[in-house]
Amino acid sequence: MFYQTKLRSITLIAALIFLACYASFGSYFAREIVVEIIILAILAISLDLCAGFGGMVSLCHGAMMGVAAYGFAIMSAKLGWPLFPSALIGLFAAVVFSGLVGWVTSRTNGIFFIMATLAFGQMAYTFFFKSRWLGGDDGFGGISRFDLSMIGLETNDSLVFTYIGLVILLLAYGLTAIVMRSGFGRTLSGIHVNEDRMKALGVNTAAHRAKAMAFSGFIAGLAGIIAAQHTLYISPELLIWTTSGEALIVVILGGLGTLVGPIIGAILLVLMKHEISNYTDYWHAFIGLVLIFTVLAGGRGVFGQIEYWFNKLTQKHQSTTKPHGDDHA
Amino acid sequence: MVTTMLEVKSLSKDFGGLQVIHDLSLSVTPGERRVILGPNGAGKTTLFHLLAGTLKPSNGEIFLDGQPISTYDAVKRARLGIARSYQKNNLFETLTIRENLMLAAAAALGKSTHMFKDTSKHADIRQRIDEIAEQVFLEDQLDQTVATASYGNRRQLEVGLALATRPKLLLMDEPTSGVGPNMIDRFHRLLEQLPRDITVLIIEHDMDLAFGVADLITVLNFGEKVFEGTPTDTRGNATVRDIYLGTGGDHA
Repeated sequence: MFYQTKLRSITLIAALIFLACYASFGSYFAREIVVEIIILAILAISLDLCAGFGGMVSLCHGAMMGVAAYGFAIMSAKLGWPLFPSALIGLFAAVVFSGLVGWVTSRTNGIFFIMATLAFGQMAYTFFFKSRWLGGDDGFGGISRFDLSMIGLETNDSLVFTYIGLVILLLAYGLTAIVMRSGFGRTLSGIHVNEDRMKALGVNTAAHRAKAMAFSGFIAGLAGIIAAQHTLYISPELLIWTTSGEALIVVILGGLGTLVGPIIGAILLVLMKHEISNYTDYWHAFIGLVLIFTVLAGGRGVFGQIEYWFNKLTQKHQSTTKPHGDDHA
Repeated sequence: MVTTMLEVKSLSKDFGGLQVIHDLSLSVTPGERRVILGPNGAGKTTLFHLLAGTLKPSNGEIFLDGQPISTYDAVKRARLGIARSYQKNNLFETLTIRENLMLAAAAALGKSTHMFKDTSKHADIRQRIDEIAEQVFLEDQLDQTVATASYGNRRQLEVGLALATRPKLLLMDEPTSGVGPNMIDRFHRLLEQLPRDITVLIIEHDMDLAFGVADLITVLNFGEKVFEGTPTDTRGNATVRDIYLGTGGDHA
């Protein structure tokens, strides 16, 4: 079950400050890296809420993000709608797509759930890949960024765009954290632990899981809108299943079921990718080794492991100072 | 006016050729404590599955508080007020006892689908958790993780989860299964203190407990009702004694 602990709040703020500094004091290229981290982190938070809390390891999160990006791009660049309504329609499309996938897969578990989501994701990918109107595998451009000049922000400035991205990352985290603490989020954890008992308590677990997927689609959609506005161009590559796979790597690397872990994981993965690729073309192999080590070391992920040690330390401390009955809520 | 909380009419269940429940009728009044007795394989747990909706009957009707529920699934029956505690612990193992009760209370109070308010801060959920913890004697164990709790505490929580939904009808499948004599006393007290607005069906093998709490006892054997009566009548009944002492069915 999710609790917004002090350690999590501090880590979240530290990560956001680190990214802001990295963007502020770095070059244009550094800002590109930070935006890449932001997109991956939001996608990974969205996946963490399904996989970490709901036990639903999805391989269609890339598609959920891509549907929002395409929805936004089609409405704004192809049909000439204003940008904000287009973004809302993109998010709505992602929610509908994810809810539909969630509803169809809500009675499957484990490997069958993974395969079913993979199939849905690849169907969406193929749809955009084959569409001539949408440029097929080349995708299409002509997308613009939000016009925030009335509040004095020039979004075409890379630093301003990066800051806006960081704010959206914070909002995505905050919203997910609030929902995971609610009756809805805690019941999702309960379904993960013991679905049969949850049914016996009168919870329609299939509908609950479908709703969780739909909410996850909304968060993934935020990443999609940023991705489309970042490069001003979209292609079906956003939806391909390896995008979902990368998000899963990030969640496991950072810490499954922690919400903060995915942000840490995204920072580590993207920085490793860029730093190591300066020296060798085999950076994939290095990340693979790190991932294997993470899994063998207990599977808690980098943040999860730190949290584990921290809790052990504070519990030892508490047991010497307070005998019992400490409310951890 | 409804004078029966649970009405079962000629219920049957067969698995292929095997008849597990045969033409069983039951009528339980509101607030009653009904003990179901019977040897292994008599169909007691199957009866609970049929009542809770986790198995579909081959034949027959079930009414809860006058309402036909035979076609409803387990989720819908739970919402109508049927709760069940299991013979084998069926808990949220990785969560704390408090979190277990929180999930049950949230479900019962219709707050499982609330998306924004922190469940652990709802006043009515906290109150329900404290109430149930007191009823099942777990006030001091609330922050313990279920997986590390003692077997007895887990049995208490098993009943607590069912009670936390404030059911109309509580189905208890061997609440004392596997616990020691001290614990059985504790369950005896627990059952006696349950509010009378809950109707309780209990499958129980501990005879002192069974005869102590029962208003009426129904005895099953090979899926059929062989006897029904007060604890005193049951004690003196020859058929029941034969079944339990194992002299076989040749007395007739």
